[in-house]
Amino acid sequence: MSEPAPSYEILQDRRHFEDLSEGEAVVLATAKISKEMIFEFARQFDPLPFHLDEAAAKKSLLGGLAASGWQTAAISLRLFVDGFLGELASLGGLGFSNLKWLRPVMAGDTIGGRVTISNLKPSRTRRGWGIVTFDFDIRNQNNQPVMTMCLTNLVARRPAPALQDPTPQDPT
Amino acid sequence: MTRWYEDIDVGSEFPLGEHTFTTGEIKRFAKSYDPQYFHLDGALAAQSQFGGLVASGWHTASMGHRKMVDTIMAEADQIRATGGVPGEAGPSPGIDKMDFLAPVRPDDTISYRLLVRAKRPSKSLPGWGVMTYFMDGTNQDGVTVYTQEFVAFNRIRRPNLTLGQRVGMFIAALPIVGPMIRTRRLR
Repeated sequence: MSEPAPSYEILQDRRHFEDLSEGEAVVLATAKISKEMIFEFARQFDPLPFHLDEAAAKKSLLGGLAASGWQTAAISLRLFVDGFLGELASLGGLGFSNLKWLRPVMAGDTIGGRVTISNLKPSRTRRGWGIVTFDFDIRNQNNQPVMTMCLTNLVARRPAPALQDPTPQDPT
Repeated sequence: MTRWYEDIDVGSEFPLGEHTFTTGEIKRFAKSYDPQYFHLDGALAAQSQFGGLVASGWHTASMGHRKMVDTIMAEADQIRATGGVPGEAGPSPGIDKMDFLAPVRPDDTISYRLLVRAKRPSKSLPGWGVMTYFMDGTNQDGVTVYTQEFVAFNRIRRPNLTLGQRVGMFIAALPIVGPMIRTRRLR
């Protein structure tokens, strides 16, 4: 990749790396997973018979129609973008680790949960970048854990002068 | 994998085919699952650090899963067509590590492959093997765009089971009771 030239016009009103703290948590909105959502995702990304066909699902190991684990993750990501990441000066995701599918998400289940900032680390290679780790704890309507993971994302640091003064500047 | 545990060799590599990402599908995925501006809006993305629209890493990875499923199903069909019995893959407990290494841009073609890193019989799920897999995607210029390490289960053709394990497998196959004990954390 060439040297990044992010536009601070887009990012300037968003929360930057310096505005975040370890332990900060966000409670996500919830999403109900319908049969149709499961079929639609499965057709595109996980066309195994037990995600596409209710009769085949009943006979499967899970005993009913369950969402693809990738769908559970993707919907969790959507809830996180809507509830938190979309307000940050995000520069893109780096990946994730320790994703665990703890329980299947069945048709009709509602998922939500909590995301906590577990680590903040300035990038060693890029002065303007910070690396943020987000721990996901996704649960179903019975408060049972369905998925956990640690997501790492780049978040822009404030341009140098602002680093001297951590107090947010009033733009008016 | 549609192969039996015994038929999967550590070190073997399986090409999973390729996929070309269009602008339309990049935006469609982003709209549903990852609505950040550099995945959604070409004009705004041009001002981002990516310099243009890029696919969500989750889109690239989900498509890798799709290519793996297609490959597995095609192989199962082939095994059945020649009178064989395909092996069985179980649920994956998760992804140990996923790294998004380079952006995927509209009209990029990503080639996916699966490598077998390790295998052992499962302690928690008698009759199944625990497989450690590695997957990656490479673009048309030979740049690796993502890597992934994960664990999955494959059924053992001729497991050496104790009487206790055989009873356990019988119970796990029962309706109602079976799913209750099968949804425990496995590995």
